Amino acid sequence: MWQQVELALSQSAHRVLVKLASFLPGLLALLLAVIVLTAIGAGLAALLRRTLIAAKFDERLARNPIGPISDWSPANSPTALIARVVFWACFLLGCFIGISAFDSAYPGDSQIFNIIIPYLTHSIGAVLLLIAGTVIARFLERSVLIGAVNAKLQYARFLSLGIKWLVLVLTAAMVLDHLQIGGAVVELAFGILFGGIVLTLALAVGLGSRDIVSRSLERTATFDPIPGDPEYKAHVPTENLRHF
Amino acid sequence: MASAQTNIDLASAPATGTTGLLVSLVPLSQEAFDATLTNLALAFPGETVFVATPDAAPQSSSGSPLRLLPYTVTTVSASPWVLTAADYLNTFKLAQENHATACVLLGAEAQSLHPESIRALAKSALLCDLTLAHYDLGPREGLVNSAMLYPVTRALFGTRPRYPLAIDLGLSLRMAERLATVAQRFTAAGQSDALLWPLNEAATANYTTAEIPISPRILPQPVTPDVNTLLAEIATSLFTDIDAKASFWQRARGTQPTQLITQTAPIAEPPDIAPMLDAFRLAYTNLHEIWSLVLPPNSLLGLKKLSLMSPETFRMPDNLWARIVYDFILAFRLRTINRGHLLGALTPLYLAWVASHLTLISSGTAPEKHIQDVAAAFEADKPYLVSRWRWPDRFNP
Repeated sequence: MWQQVELALSQSAHRVLVKLASFLPGLLALLLAVIVLTAIGAGLAALLRRTLIAAKFDERLARNPIGPISDWSPANSPTALIARVVFWACFLLGCFIGISAFDSAYPGDSQIFNIIIPYLTHSIGAVLLLIAGTVIARFLERSVLIGAVNAKLQYARFLSLGIKWLVLVLTAAMVLDHLQIGGAVVELAFGILFGGIVLTLALAVGLGSRDIVSRSLERTATFDPIPGDPEYKAHVPTENLRHF
Repeated sequence: MASAQTNIDLASAPATGTTGLLVSLVPLSQEAFDATLTNLALAFPGETVFVATPDAAPQSSSGSPLRLLPYTVTTVSASPWVLTAADYLNTFKLAQENHATACVLLGAEAQSLHPESIRALAKSALLCDLTLAHYDLGPREGLVNSAMLYPVTRALFGTRPRYPLAIDLGLSLRMAERLATVAQRFTAAGQSDALLWPLNEAATANYTTAEIPISPRILPQPVTPDVNTLLAEIATSLFTDIDAKASFWQRARGTQPTQLITQTAPIAEPPDIAPMLDAFRLAYTNLHEIWSLVLPPNSLLGLKKLSLMSPETFRMPDNLWARIVYDFILAFRLRTINRGHLLGALTPLYLAWVASHLTLISSGTAPEKHIQDVAAAFEADKPYLVSRWRWPDRFNP
């Protein structure tokens, strides 16, 4: 009895050690590829930054304000943008090379391999989706907020928050779907949440804009407005300013 | 204005010019065109003057000293109320081909210009590189110019003219060439409607500038009077130009001498500033988070005080407005937030300035005095802009 237990344990330990021995070189290769390519990327980015600064790339671009590159520069300058693109391109290249090395070092008939690698790819896609969704949500939130404030809408904040959460809920549903988590539950929950937010916004905006819509309709209608309507306010220009 | 590439009809142009003056017109209605030609004939009696026009030239112009140079407008401008890149480019091409030594650009509604004004503009164009019109506007007109364009241009570039975006200009040939070079970059990229800043160009090139009073003048208005869009469009153009010329204006020194203050009559009836104040207060409630990314705490405190003021005492300090505009210029340069968002967030602050300006002048202060005070505040605060331009990360309370 004890001999069988001992045998089972030793065989199990042996199998784990063998798998670990075949797994570690691949993992090491992956890490090495990522580290080396990241270092190369950092070096290239630094070199490029220095070269472009020496060549006064930003000033040349500023003198020619038509180029679309400067519009996409994150915070500082087009030089910084190019340097960052090069760095992250090298990092991604390192990831791909590392995964490829891992793939070749690890036995292909393993079930773990068949699950992990596709899932890793999906995870990267999900992270990118999450980042893009968050950025778009913030952008749209600010756009709607500023637009609504300049249109003098009292519910500007509410509207912008609604838009933000619409995009975030959509993003979350897409991420979970991409990761194949939750299945039909996510779809159902997303439908309920999304529909709920849209309905809430529609009701809020509809009720809040009732006066605006009625005035607009009255202006476009061919008949005269009802004089006795207490809600009706005649459109009188309140200012006679010329800004330009 | 004529926002288009030019197809010049050289067949109708004379071989040589004698006076060397070219007057460039923008598309006008037939009635306005005839009135403008009459005024031009009165302005230059017996003198040969080239008149570039995109409109159909009358056949009976052979006996007139005005030599018409028709050109074809291929695309209609989206901003017919200002001079655009295509206008400057067209003018220089025609001036060069007809050996003109000076040019006069007349904007839309040019028929309202008196012959004396046109003549004065032309005379100055032969003496100075850049001559700008000085319009006599009412206290409620040209507010963007008074609030931002004039003070910023004067403070940064050390220039005197009151209307940097004037639509009636006199140009020497070298000034026209410089502007055409700048305009070429825009038109080559399909941006024929882009605004140019002749005063900034002249200051950067150290060219001579002059200002001629033009009165009366009907100034054309934008087709869509949406202050949000137009303010963003003009501010984007100005801020981009400031960014491109940073190496010049950081070195520029000196303040302008005090200008002659024209005593415009006070506003007959008190202005209704309530909508502007409502817009500002609504923005203060909602845009505080965005403003805090752009403005330092001291300016935010000033805005908080403003939001609590009653309409009767509503007054935005000149130095606060100058600091706000400078901080927006810096944020535009640094791309602190998306540029569209940034300029959208500027509109309520501009409306607050307008409300403050109108409140002040309704209390008896001469409008021009207040505008000169604002410009002086911008000049006084210029070191702040230069300092933060060079060291944006320095502590800023």
